Amino acid sequence: MIEQIQSVLTNWDAMLPVLPQLVVSGIAIGMLYALIALSMTILYRATTVVNFGHGDLVMLGAYALFILMPMVTFNIAVESSALGLLASFVPPFLVALILSLLVLFAMGYIIHRVFIWPILKGPHLSLALMAIAIGYAVRGVIRKEYGKEVLQMPRPFPEQEFELFNWGGFGTYMTLDEMIFCGVVIVMLLISYIVFSKTRFGRIVQAMFQTQRGSSLVGINVMHYNNLIWGVGCSLGALGGVMLGLALALDPDVGVWTLLRGFAAMTLGGFGSLYGAVIGGLIIGILEKVLGVFISTAFIEITCYLVIILVLLIRPKGLFGQHATLRI
Amino acid sequence: MLALALPLVLNQYLQYVVNLMLVYILVSVGFNIVVGNLGQLAFSNVAFFGIGAYASGILTTQLGMPWWLTVVPAGFCGALAGCAASIPALRGVRLFYLAIMTLAFGELMRWLYIRTPGLTGGSMGLTVPEPAVFGWMLTNEYQKFYVFLFIVVVVVIATSRLLESRIGRAFLAIKNDENAAAAMGIPTGQYFLLAFALSGFVVGIGGSMYAALVGHLSPEDFDLIQVILHFAIIMVGGLGSLIGSILGSILITATPEVIRHFEWLVGSEEWIFGVAIIVVILFLPRGLSSLLAKVNPIFKDRYYRD
Repeated sequence: MIEQIQSVLTNWDAMLPVLPQLVVSGIAIGMLYALIALSMTILYRATTVVNFGHGDLVMLGAYALFILMPMVTFNIAVESSALGLLASFVPPFLVALILSLLVLFAMGYIIHRVFIWPILKGPHLSLALMAIAIGYAVRGVIRKEYGKEVLQMPRPFPEQEFELFNWGGFGTYMTLDEMIFCGVVIVMLLISYIVFSKTRFGRIVQAMFQTQRGSSLVGINVMHYNNLIWGVGCSLGALGGVMLGLALALDPDVGVWTLLRGFAAMTLGGFGSLYGAVIGGLIIGILEKVLGVFISTAFIEITCYLVIILVLLIRPKGLFGQHATLRI
Repeated sequence: MLALALPLVLNQYLQYVVNLMLVYILVSVGFNIVVGNLGQLAFSNVAFFGIGAYASGILTTQLGMPWWLTVVPAGFCGALAGCAASIPALRGVRLFYLAIMTLAFGELMRWLYIRTPGLTGGSMGLTVPEPAVFGWMLTNEYQKFYVFLFIVVVVVIATSRLLESRIGRAFLAIKNDENAAAAMGIPTGQYFLLAFALSGFVVGIGGSMYAALVGHLSPEDFDLIQVILHFAIIMVGGLGSLIGSILGSILITATPEVIRHFEWLVGSEEWIFGVAIIVVILFLPRGLSSLLAKVNPIFKDRYYRD
């Protein structure tokens, strides 16, 4: 470790020009973590249940798009009516994306209604285990059906690279994918900020986060709103899964990887904080890239584990969270 | 007594499956101490299991120790890991925070197995020599069975004694209400440490048996799928029940072998385990052991209350 740090210090002049590129690609991957952490935070805020199976639902979102894509393209080719003409202007990828988000919304709604709601009053242990078991079952089905070969996600647009700036040797490149990811995540963050702080729906969710019993006393249909929030959280997660599928390949095992990075972002930002999740995701993305190049490639994998452990040991409430420990 | 005659009727492969069941009995009994009796959500079990297995493997390959001498050191390595895993709990980290943290701990350990090829063989895995007991080599599964059965019986009886004592009652008090337990004068921090160390010890011994049984350890054996297997065992069997752990280990270890006989079910272990956990949580929260207790009160857990 010490020799590595010394070698970094001696090679400082050679390493420094890489830094802007690392930060930019760290932000791009961090945006993905941020979106997943955002969807988990939304689930957590409404129902105070941490969904340990969320990574597998994210993975399911990517697979749903993969499965729906050929169906949608086929139907558009067959239709020759006015509807078909209208549909020919809409790219099939977009149709498949919207359909898969709807499918995952329904999944989240049904999962909460059928599996989580009946045991919501029970111990935390069975809630967490239920979420894990659902994720495990989803992964098992996907692996049995599609796990045998490596599948490539259909691409909506060709891969392109842009030079962001080039100034005396300090240059950075960004792919079109990464730009669109960043744009989508920022838009989603803005939408969720507006929904959660400005609308009636958002105020109801705030009330349920504070006390479910109290909000049901003032006439809120807690079960219905919890179902809705699970649907919204799952479809946001599915959007993250589609991006993940575009950035990497489709893989049934991506769930745990995703889950741990989402947790790391949530822990760093503080549980239950929307902007905390996004900032935490960005910080983890940048840290992964910078530590991976400057110290050792081993850090790419373990940054998020170390962040989780250190944050919970040193400052369990994270950067912007409320409280996380029990005082006796 | 009937179990002693098992090698007479089984072939080598089925005997291997039975030995695997014995390993999982220890693993789930140890896991149940933290999850069932102390009531904490911790994923660190797979880390204890891996540490026990690798400790046994490293001691036999690097130091040339006979296997039987490594069983207890492997247990102590697991107990040490248990103490480390309980540090966040001592700091007041509870519920899913503890779960996330122990999840990260388990993954970190798996990363460590891959990244220290000098000791653990890295991602290629570690080949463990034939286990030796008092100078004799255990070359076939039948011999391993008797040694394993002896270890399992001793450890399970010791654990059940411990859980029926003052210590076990303190665990249950902490599970039911930690504040109330502390108010009654139970030093909750010490009991957290004790429960995690005990769990690590039992699971570490299970790990050393696993090393002797399989003969080749690879980091993939200790990933999160393994921890879901452990959860499936204790949930199906019954949380906080020794009989349940034994029953669950037998059932869950036998499932893949049964599945193998049906063409259309090949590769479905994952979703079957997932669905099994869901069904048990929804319809049978106390697991199969509660069904047994209804049939015959002798199976009732005297030291366990909801």
